[in-house]
Amino acid sequence: MCKNHFNPIHCIVPPYMLTKLMESSNKKIADLAINSDFRSFRFRNDRIYFQKASLQEKTILGLISKQTGKETMQMEVYDCKQKTDFTGATLLWNTKNNQKITSVAGKNVIKGGKASWDFYGQLFGRNSIDNKGLLIKQYVHYDKGMDNAYWDGRRMVYGDGDGLVFTSFTSDIDVIGHELTHGVTENEANLDYENQAGALNESFSDIFGIMIKQRFNNLDVKKSDWLIGEKVMIGPKYALRSMKAPGTAYINHPELGNDPQPATMDKYQNLPNTQSGDFGGVHLNSGIPNFAFYVAAFNIGGYAWEKAGRIWYAVLTDVKLAQNAKFSDVKNLTIVHAENLFGINSPEVNAVKQGWLEAKV
Amino acid sequence: MKIKLIRTGGFIPITKAAETEVNLSDQELNRLLIVIQPDPAAPRIKDGNYYELTAGPRSSPVDLGKVPDEYKALFSKLKNGLKIVKPG
Repeated sequence: MCKNHFNPIHCIVPPYMLTKLMESSNKKIADLAINSDFRSFRFRNDRIYFQKASLQEKTILGLISKQTGKETMQMEVYDCKQKTDFTGATLLWNTKNNQKITSVAGKNVIKGGKASWDFYGQLFGRNSIDNKGLLIKQYVHYDKGMDNAYWDGRRMVYGDGDGLVFTSFTSDIDVIGHELTHGVTENEANLDYENQAGALNESFSDIFGIMIKQRFNNLDVKKSDWLIGEKVMIGPKYALRSMKAPGTAYINHPELGNDPQPATMDKYQNLPNTQSGDFGGVHLNSGIPNFAFYVAAFNIGGYAWEKAGRIWYAVLTDVKLAQNAKFSDVKNLTIVHAENLFGINSPEVNAVKQGWLEAKV
Repeated sequence: MKIKLIRTGGFIPITKAAETEVNLSDQELNRLLIVIQPDPAAPRIKDGNYYELTAGPRSSPVDLGKVPDEYKALFSKLKNGLKIVKPG
C-alpha cells in the first residue's frame, strides 16, 4: 500500500527495478531499495491481516473509526480563481458552515461529492475515501480554461474547460465520482497506473462514477445511457466515454476525430508505457473492462449498484487484487465474488461470465 | 530556434501543442532542459496532464512548477497557446 510514508519511490518503482536497485553498489540506493522492499512486504501483509481481522479487531486497531451509522461527510470546496496555486485558493464552502454559494462549479462538486459519499457510505458502509472519514477536498476553477479533472493523491481538481470542446469538468456527477473513486482505489488495491492495471484503475473509476450518477438520477440499467461526461463535452452527440459501446462516445468530432477506446480484448492497444503513450493506454484499454461490466450489469438487470456494483466493490476491496493485476485477474475475482454473493450457477454469475466473454477477456 | 510545448494525458488523452521562436544559446537551452525536469520519483497523477518541451532533436519532460522566473512568461505564452493536435 502506498501510504503512511512520504517517499514516492515506494509508490511507483516496479518490483524488477527494485530488485536491481537492491543490488546497487551505491550503498545509499541499495539501503533505500531494501527499506522500500521491506515496507512493501509489510504493507502487503498488513492488508492481508486487516482483511481477515474481525470487526472487533478492526475497531481496536482504529481501522473502523466510525462504524456507528452516524458517519458525517467532511468536505471542503476551494476556488482556485483560474490560478494553479493551491495555497492561494480560497475556501468557498465547507460542511461545517454550509455557506450559500453562487459558483455553479462549486455547487456541482458539492452535489457530486455528496452523491459519491452517500453511494459508498449507504451501500457499502464505507466512511469516505479512505474508510476512515477522510476530509474530501475539491478545487474548482483551476487554471485558465483547463480541459481536465484529476486526483493528485490528496484532492480532486477541476478545470473550467476550454469553452470550445469542453465545458466545466464539474458538469457531470460521473466525472466527480470517477475522481473520488481514484482515491478509493488508492486506499484499497492501489492499482499501478500503467498497462492493464492502469486500465483497471481507470475502469473502476468509470464503473463507480456511472453508478454514482445512475443512483443520483434513479436510473436502472435500461434507462441509463451509460455515457460518461456527456455534459462536459460540448455538443449533443458527444461524451467522454461510452461504457455500453466503447469507441462510440464521439465520432467524426471536428477536433478529436473518433473515440479510440476498444471494447474487446482482441482490439487491445499496445501503447508505450510513457507519458505520451498514456502509460500503456490506461484511458483507452479501460474500455474493455468497462464493457464487461456494462454487459454483466445489463444482463443482471435492475439497478446496477444493487448487484453488479456489490460484486465489483468486493473485488476492489479484496486483498487478492494485486497492484499489477491484469484483466483476467479481475475477471476471475468477479466470478468468485458473484458466486460468494449470489451462489454458484446463479443468474448473476452467468451474467458476469457473459460480460467477460463478450469483452473477449 | 523553434521550441515546442506538448501536452499529453488527461481524462481523455488528448495531445495539444504550441510552438514559438526563441533566441536562446545552446548553453541556455541545455540548462533550461535540465532545470525543468520533473522529479522522476514523483507519483503519477490520476488523469493528470503531462508536458514536454522539444527543441529540434532535444527534448525534456517539463514540471511547470520548476520553470525559472526568467522563462515564466515564455511558458505561459506557450501554455495559453496550446492547440489540439488532430489525430491522424
